[in-house]
Amino acid sequence: MRKINKKDIDYIAMGSTVLGTGGGGDPYIGKLLAKEAIEKYGEVPLIKAEELNDDALVVPIAAFGAPMILVEKLFSGDEFINAFEMMESYLGRKIDAVMPAEAGGLNGVIPFSIAAQKQIPLVDADGMGRAFPRLEMVTFTLHGIPVSPITQADEKGNRNVYHTINNEWGETLVGATAIQMGGSCAIGCYPMSGSQVKKAAVHGIVSYAQTLGESILNAKEQNLNPMNSLIERAAAIKLFTGKISNITIKTEGRWNKGVCEIIGLNENQDSLMVLDFQNEFLMAKKDGDPVAITPDLIVLIDAENAQPITAETIQYGTRVVVLGMKADKQWRTVKGIELGGPKKFGYKEEYVPVEELNKKK
Amino acid sequence: MYYKIGVDVGGTNTDAVLVSHDNNILAKTKQTTTLDVSSGIENAIKQVMLEAKVPKEEIKYIMLGTTHCTNALVERKELNKIGAIRIGLPASSAIPTMTDFPEDLKTILGRHLYMVHGGYEFDGRLISPLNEEEVKKCLHKMRGEIESLAITGIFSKTLPDQELQVATWAKEVLGENIRISCSHQIGGLGLLERENAAILNAALQGVALKMVKAFKETVSCLGLSSQLFIGQNDGTLMSLEQAQDFPVLTISSGPTNSIRGAGALSNVKNGIVIDVGGTTSDGGVLVNFFPRESTQAAQIGGVLTNFRMPDVVAVGIGGGTIVRFEDKKCQLGPDSVGYMLKEKAIAFGGDTLTLSDFYIANNQLEIEDSLQKAEFKKRIEQISDRSFYKALELVKEQIQLSIEKLVDKLKTDSKEIPVIACGGGAFLLPKQIEGASEVLFPEHLEVANAFGACIAQISCEEEMVINTMQNDEKQELERLLSNVKNELLKNGASENSINVLAKESIPLAYLPGAVKLKVKLCGDLIR
Repeated sequence: MRKINKKDIDYIAMGSTVLGTGGGGDPYIGKLLAKEAIEKYGEVPLIKAEELNDDALVVPIAAFGAPMILVEKLFSGDEFINAFEMMESYLGRKIDAVMPAEAGGLNGVIPFSIAAQKQIPLVDADGMGRAFPRLEMVTFTLHGIPVSPITQADEKGNRNVYHTINNEWGETLVGATAIQMGGSCAIGCYPMSGSQVKKAAVHGIVSYAQTLGESILNAKEQNLNPMNSLIERAAAIKLFTGKISNITIKTEGRWNKGVCEIIGLNENQDSLMVLDFQNEFLMAKKDGDPVAITPDLIVLIDAENAQPITAETIQYGTRVVVLGMKADKQWRTVKGIELGGPKKFGYKEEYVPVEELNKKK
Repeated sequence: MYYKIGVDVGGTNTDAVLVSHDNNILAKTKQTTTLDVSSGIENAIKQVMLEAKVPKEEIKYIMLGTTHCTNALVERKELNKIGAIRIGLPASSAIPTMTDFPEDLKTILGRHLYMVHGGYEFDGRLISPLNEEEVKKCLHKMRGEIESLAITGIFSKTLPDQELQVATWAKEVLGENIRISCSHQIGGLGLLERENAAILNAALQGVALKMVKAFKETVSCLGLSSQLFIGQNDGTLMSLEQAQDFPVLTISSGPTNSIRGAGALSNVKNGIVIDVGGTTSDGGVLVNFFPRESTQAAQIGGVLTNFRMPDVVAVGIGGGTIVRFEDKKCQLGPDSVGYMLKEKAIAFGGDTLTLSDFYIANNQLEIEDSLQKAEFKKRIEQISDRSFYKALELVKEQIQLSIEKLVDKLKTDSKEIPVIACGGGAFLLPKQIEGASEVLFPEHLEVANAFGACIAQISCEEEMVINTMQNDEKQELERLLSNVKNELLKNGASENSINVLAKESIPLAYLPGAVKLKVKLCGDLIR
């Protein structure tokens, strides 16, 4: 167990943006929320999954909604507490710890505000090890853990509890109600036992995010190159160096779909990289051939300061480095690839691990 | 036949141009910016009128570009005492007003911050109704303690009526003289950024009032009865009344003016503009005669806002840039002697080697009061420990490298495009640049920014979110378009010159049916 303070939140938020692989919602709002709560209620104990009792009750708490709404209609904070307390009263017992459902993006930092206010620990684990756009796309689903009961609350005080026939329906129904609530809400989902967390979650992901954030933000003080220290800490593969030459985004239903083209520089002179995204970066192709495929992580980094760039803020002419990072091993199973792999997003390519695709010939 | 005068007040120089109604430059000047600012403006206007010899009554418009507000914010000087009301409870309370402000600014501005019930959903439903008693209780607490009030409501971009209602109550309680900044008139979507912009705007209203008054007085002292305008950050003009109400919009108008001015001087529609000053070379991209906007949110005085500023990249190359030699290499800047050139540079008997010294010695630049060339050429050779021409070659090589890097950074693809030089230090730029189809040095390049202020059009923009399940998207967009057009005509645009800069409907991710509409128009002033 260790305590998380406001400074740590800065690092974790930066690391969450890396793990957001271009999507996941900008953690800026989540960071402010978490820091306000820590200021008010004190530091948050972060515990390892192994520290949990097997029969402990752990509930992931998350923000759910449209990124654009989240920046205009800010959270009251009460919606998270309501979702939390509703889960407790529904299950008839106290929640022992909260956990992020998604360590990438906004939801990597949001749960700290609930943990601070409720004075309970946050588990150093999540259900993705990255960001994905749908509620059922978590490692918990791979282990047959149901998303329900789901508790949902908005800032006005409206509340729902859901029992869905499967995890996909959870996304569908909560999504529909979220729109009526004004486009954003808080949810509690996947209530599970300590032993389920130990088995099904991606372990150590919060600390990992913090490490990544530290490697970027502290490199200067230590006279290190932030890009090199990020690559080293993330055990990432440098896929490409270049300059953003084109970007097209269109919104299709719930998706921010787009293509980002990067013209090669230095060792990649005369090459072209094309990044495909649907909220998150899903496919990286170099001169037409895939070099990284979802669920492996594709991260776009500003070459000047090593800070991650989200798909919405890509800017012409920025010099960038594209990194590939291995997805958690649970995503690399047959079931994992089915749930988070290229076919799920409509690509015809087969999944090949990023380290295989980039083997030195 | 009529004439216009464009004035640009920078940190070092106050430039002015006098142009005919069809934008021919008849006179230009560079004067020193004075401490009181207005005498610098007076000198500059006087000088161009003297040169052009046109009748006073035929000077119809005077346009001013100024860094007044930027400086007030950066230096935290002369800021108004403000209050802020956010309308949106129960939403938004987890992140209170000014949460992410720099501490020093929070101390100065953060004494009267209130959150009240109200606000709208994206589709126009109420989050909660306004409560008159609750709002007035806050207003009474501010009585006698504030000069300006910032009012920000959730989704006020779609429905501004709650902000306007609070403004009416504020005048009732605080008196008619209270200055008000309503967020829906200032920023875009994104509550925190828009609220920040409204707060900065409120804080700047005192400075703006003084600036506008000084500008008016200066002009009337000169016996001119011209209509006056002030440049804003998108390259268009606003009236003095607008500038008093929305001073925050004048921030960063300088780079915009020089990019647009350089484009017009060289008659290039698409290209790269490099404005070389005393300290830096600022590169921007001209797209259809307008500067390309940055996609990153702009920080002003350490505060995050959602203004779209011109996408400018700076490198430390300017007339006053300090040159150092080490072994085989020479190092340019990034520091500069700035406006202290005549006190510090070798060419004027100082002890600091600057870029200007090389160009004066090489007969490429003339500045009054410089020493005998042979004399300080020797000093250059001593400092650099090599022959003058060897040293000059090294310096030019370094400039070439830095400028080519700058151009490469600004370009979006490998296609060669023209580069336009402007600013007082344009002589530093190489005649050929890798990646540029040509390098243009248009006539009057040293006053491109004042010229940019002069040719600016007026514009108007609006954005809102609608629910297409309730409203017809096409109809709403047309309605927004006609609202914006009426506003523009009201501000003095001639109808047949109106141009559509943006007319977009963007569906929002994760929100079926919700669409963001945005319209931006610009037009010429009536002739």
